[in-house]
Amino acid sequence: MRVLLVEDDTMIGEAIQSALRDESYATDWVKDGLKALVAIHTQRYDIMLLDLGLPGKDGQAVLKAIRATNNPVPVLIVTARDALEQRLQGLDAGADDYILKPFDMPELLARMRAVLRRKQGNGAPVMSNGVVTLDPTTREAAVMGNESIRLTHREYALLHALLARPGAILSRSELEDRIYGWGEEVESNAVEYIIHALRKKLGSGVIENVRGLGWMVSKNA
Amino acid sequence: MDGFKERLNASVQLKLSFVLFLAISVVAVAAGTFSFISAFVEAHELQDDVLYQIAALATRQDIPSAVSQNGIRLDDSDNDSTIFVQYLGGKGRHNALALPGDLSEGLHTLGVNGKTYRVLIKATKSGPKIAIAQLTEDRDDMAYDSAMRTLTPFFVLVPVLLIILISLIRKMFRPIIELAAQIDERSEQDLRPMPSHDLPTEVRPFVRALNRLLERVAESINTQRRFVADAAHELRSPLTALSLQAERLDQAEMSDEARSRLKVVRQGIERGRNLLNQLLSLSKAQSTERRAESAVSVRSAFRKVLEDLIPQASAKGIDVGVLEGPDAIVRISELDLTTVVKNLTDNAIRYTPANGRVDLSVTTDTNEAVVTVSDTGPGIPASEKSRVFDPFYRILGSDQMGSGLGLSIVRAIADRTGARVELGFTDTAARTGLTVTFALPLYNPHHSPSAN
Repeated sequence: MRVLLVEDDTMIGEAIQSALRDESYATDWVKDGLKALVAIHTQRYDIMLLDLGLPGKDGQAVLKAIRATNNPVPVLIVTARDALEQRLQGLDAGADDYILKPFDMPELLARMRAVLRRKQGNGAPVMSNGVVTLDPTTREAAVMGNESIRLTHREYALLHALLARPGAILSRSELEDRIYGWGEEVESNAVEYIIHALRKKLGSGVIENVRGLGWMVSKNA
Repeated sequence: MDGFKERLNASVQLKLSFVLFLAISVVAVAAGTFSFISAFVEAHELQDDVLYQIAALATRQDIPSAVSQNGIRLDDSDNDSTIFVQYLGGKGRHNALALPGDLSEGLHTLGVNGKTYRVLIKATKSGPKIAIAQLTEDRDDMAYDSAMRTLTPFFVLVPVLLIILISLIRKMFRPIIELAAQIDERSEQDLRPMPSHDLPTEVRPFVRALNRLLERVAESINTQRRFVADAAHELRSPLTALSLQAERLDQAEMSDEARSRLKVVRQGIERGRNLLNQLLSLSKAQSTERRAESAVSVRSAFRKVLEDLIPQASAKGIDVGVLEGPDAIVRISELDLTTVVKNLTDNAIRYTPANGRVDLSVTTDTNEAVVTVSDTGPGIPASEKSRVFDPFYRILGSDQMGSGLGLSIVRAIADRTGARVELGFTDTAARTGLTVTFALPLYNPHHSPSAN
């Protein structure tokens, strides 16, 4: 994976670059917009991290110039400006996502992975929130370091729904929608029953209940 | 009296009314007196002329024998102006008036039988003098009547003039009073210029000056807000650098002591980040910029907020949840509602001791939804209730690392959107636990949003 990092702040750039190297990304770092355009024309990158406030050529303009040449490189905007309008302009100009300063490295890495996954689109990879992993091909779930456990059809559907967006709370009716097909009769307490079964198989901490709202799997475990 | 003087000096309108009233009264009294006196004198002269005419008539012709014997009375129809015509001296033995016989020719004013008469003496061609007499009382009455008649227009017209003047003055001052009322009604956020086109030219420069001042105030407030926002933005990059470097450092080899120190450093950075975000949030909440209001589900705001805050609550072992009940759809900007719920819930989690409980709920009545966040923490004593909304205010003795801006942000949003915030106790008997209610209007699909 080759990353183009466009960041004018030396301290931030250094930190990101070394963190990316630790994650085995090959990272090229440029400090202004014009160099970024030169780099993107001469080298193929898998993803670009673009700061908006740049000397030479502003990040927004860099993005427009790249998209004008039909270059589909995934772009993740890193910005200190959070005015909604500017964010929307960034997304309109063809950014795939944005991240607001100040951020943590794990968050940046997660966003990068998400953008890459969306762009590559070779779907159904193993899903994970860091605690539990779910393999769609085998319908097996595993808690960190433990053996894989085969799930029933409905257990799989429910865990799949939760793992699709770790940290998001899904209500009972939303979960029922995922585990029952059209025309299937919904049994009362089915969701509780399935969650009970999943907790038994995977451990009680895997699925959290949020009183009054629904269930979730934790995001940053 | 002093009070009246003061009021008179304070109010142009009152002063103008009072001075005009005085001027008109003085002029009216003077003109009235003048016209009364001149009419009075005129009436007397007129009656003297009548006596002369009668004398001329009497001396030119042979006086009827009746006159020569007894004198005659000339009565007018309403009998209030009797004129006597008689000879002086021995020729008229049975005269109605006993006049002295030696009066010279000309006009006299004489007392006869206790009454005063105006008497004209004139010699006839034949010799004896003739006297034409009139009761002065009658003359005065007539003169008085006619003089009074000249005053009637004053009595009628002066009050009319005064009424017209006072209502005119009131009418002229009304735009100023209305202007004052308009300024009074404004919220402190509203710094738009006042309309000046409907105002009299004398007031317009004043309003323009006021508008220029409003403009400058708005400008300076904006500059201040922008400064806070810009400063916070500018702080973001160095803080990011700091936090990323600290993160890198964490992965390096180091002693346990260094690592525990680093942990404290990173907590400090985290606090700075939090403060920065809250500052930006406050500056956004205070901005006068209008946000698009739409139909927002309160429960979906609860969900969004809890998705963010569950890790924080779990770490402290706090049971945070939403009480059962129907959802409410309210009219507000989604960002505002989420910010309010997030700050209230964050505070609740922060100030509730481990293993406590935080409840979010929403209730509705006919046109209002009440969002409630209650916790089992220490609560806020009544004496602190007004102060906790001040930025950076923290209750003494709470060792929490909050930004001190949460409730200020909530208050700023409430002020801008017209919602109400109230603080109470969760357990009113024991006076513990904080319950914050945020009341805001329900979304009404028939209500046109442009009207607000």
